[in-house]
Amino acid sequence: MNVRRWSALTKRELLKIVRNPAAIATGLLLPILYLILFGQGFNFTSSLNLLPPADRPGALHSLLLGAPDYFSYFAAGMVGFVGVTATLFVGANVIFDKLFGTLKRTGASPATAADIFGSRLVAGSIQPVGLAFLVLGLAILLGDVGLAGLHVTATVTVVGAAEIVAAILLLSLMFASLFLALGFTIEQPQTYFALVNAINLPVLLTSAALYPWGAMPAWLQGIASYNPVTLAVEVLRIDLFGGAFYPYAAWVYLLGLIGWALAMFGIATFLTQRALAPKA
Amino acid sequence: MPDAVIAEGLTKTFNGSVKAVDGVSFSVKEGEVYGFLGPNGAGKTTTLSMLTAVLGPTSGRATVDGLDVVQHPHELKQRIGLVFQESTADQDLTGRENLELAAALFGVHLRDTPKRVNELLDRLALADSADRLVKTYSGGMRRRLELAVGMIHSPRVLFLDEPTLGLDPQGRAGFWKIVGDLRKETGMTVFLTTHYLDEADGVCDRIAIIDRGKIVAAGTPTELKDRLGGDIVTVRPLGDPATLEPALKALPGVTAVTLQDGTLRVKCPSGDSLIPKVVGAATNLGIGLAGVSLRRPSLDEVFLEFTGREFREDEGPTATDRAVFLTRVQSSRRRLR
Repeated sequence: MNVRRWSALTKRELLKIVRNPAAIATGLLLPILYLILFGQGFNFTSSLNLLPPADRPGALHSLLLGAPDYFSYFAAGMVGFVGVTATLFVGANVIFDKLFGTLKRTGASPATAADIFGSRLVAGSIQPVGLAFLVLGLAILLGDVGLAGLHVTATVTVVGAAEIVAAILLLSLMFASLFLALGFTIEQPQTYFALVNAINLPVLLTSAALYPWGAMPAWLQGIASYNPVTLAVEVLRIDLFGGAFYPYAAWVYLLGLIGWALAMFGIATFLTQRALAPKA
Repeated sequence: MPDAVIAEGLTKTFNGSVKAVDGVSFSVKEGEVYGFLGPNGAGKTTTLSMLTAVLGPTSGRATVDGLDVVQHPHELKQRIGLVFQESTADQDLTGRENLELAAALFGVHLRDTPKRVNELLDRLALADSADRLVKTYSGGMRRRLELAVGMIHSPRVLFLDEPTLGLDPQGRAGFWKIVGDLRKETGMTVFLTTHYLDEADGVCDRIAIIDRGKIVAAGTPTELKDRLGGDIVTVRPLGDPATLEPALKALPGVTAVTLQDGTLRVKCPSGDSLIPKVVGAATNLGIGLAGVSLRRPSLDEVFLEFTGREFREDEGPTATDRAVFLTRVQSSRRRLR
């Protein structure tokens, strides 16, 4: 990889992100809708007040693994899920660059597949971290306007904050790799968006982003344990609400995420190199 | 003068059956403007794509500036400039940002980049709009920006793929004047594809006429036109052309007569003086004439001479379009089975 080429291409990608607020809004839209509609409508933990006061903490802990209420538990899930939704556009941009000829120009230059892939991967993974913190701030602010809001009950240390950033970054790297691989191998935007939808929803629905852990059947807990969104969200929940009810420390979940990110990076690198090689 | 581009038996087959380029061989001298002239689908862009390491050849070999296009694609791309027929500049960036990006990609030294970018912006009359997003540029400005991008690293060989497609005559003339001036200053070699006959005639030092993937004629525009042997008088008789043909062949000065689609094409050194004789011969035989016209030697005539077809009548899908179409048909068939 040539640093100058890579940094010039990364700058281009970042400029395109900054100049296209619609892409940023798209990345935020789904998590915000979930927070404002689903999170408010489904904040069932107020009904736990019907239980005798002595039973409430036990019920909360078994259901939500230490989160103070469902909305807080769920909001942490949505903050993690931004790492998926905000990376969708990286693959779409590749397809549009193919259609508009921009990728043809880059491909005809001495830039290598590593320069092209690496620049898009980095630019596409930085944005979700910023958006995740926007969603986190919004989730907290909702509590100040009379709605259910995110209550951080643990003391977030510097290490904890770094773990949160690392979790979102790794999840974004993994999904940016996946969506880039799709973008480089697929020619039609319709096919890409159909595939992305076919990936996103199952990923969300087999993770612990939405469901109270204690309410999930054992088989779904088994699947969710390996889901990268779950791994990222668990890191957030440990650092925001405390890790007493989790079987592992945050770094163990981060290791799992590193494994996912490396595997997807390897597959995406192979597919991108093949797609960008001179056509035989 | 050494050769800047050498192609030997260059062949490209898509999907194992569509032969877009069929054993093309030619060489381009250093500093020369060499044109590939042919209708859409003739194999021009496919040849150019192989020479610029965008497409790998199925067989044959080619070198550009001494580098084998298959063995040294990376080094090759650093030495050549490429202007595509469509706009490839990033529309969400300004003209200046596009050029700065190209400078980084093609290895222009960081210290020299601002000077080189400003120089090209001035040269191509883009300085006033340099900091505007490319999406606001006109067609002519986009073409000039493409040329600037292709020239950013002062390439030794510049490849132009139908570079004036879609431009009005004034825009085309302006574009070629800039290319001509840049060539004079830098001495670079220019390889261009075009289906504008007048453009090839006016701009190129040498031309290869390509049709259905094969070079059918090559030489300087003058040489090619000289091969026609003079003027062409086209005669459209009202009756059977075969009856008139022997009489025309017998006229003094006529070098050849060919029949195509009911029209007789009569070659002669001077068409002006032959026309009255043609009319006389037809009158003597009692054959009426629907029309007689004189055509001076042109590349249009050269194309007709070497391919047997009018230049425009073969315009259609490109070789790549045909290959994509064929792939889709084949995959549909597979699905149906």
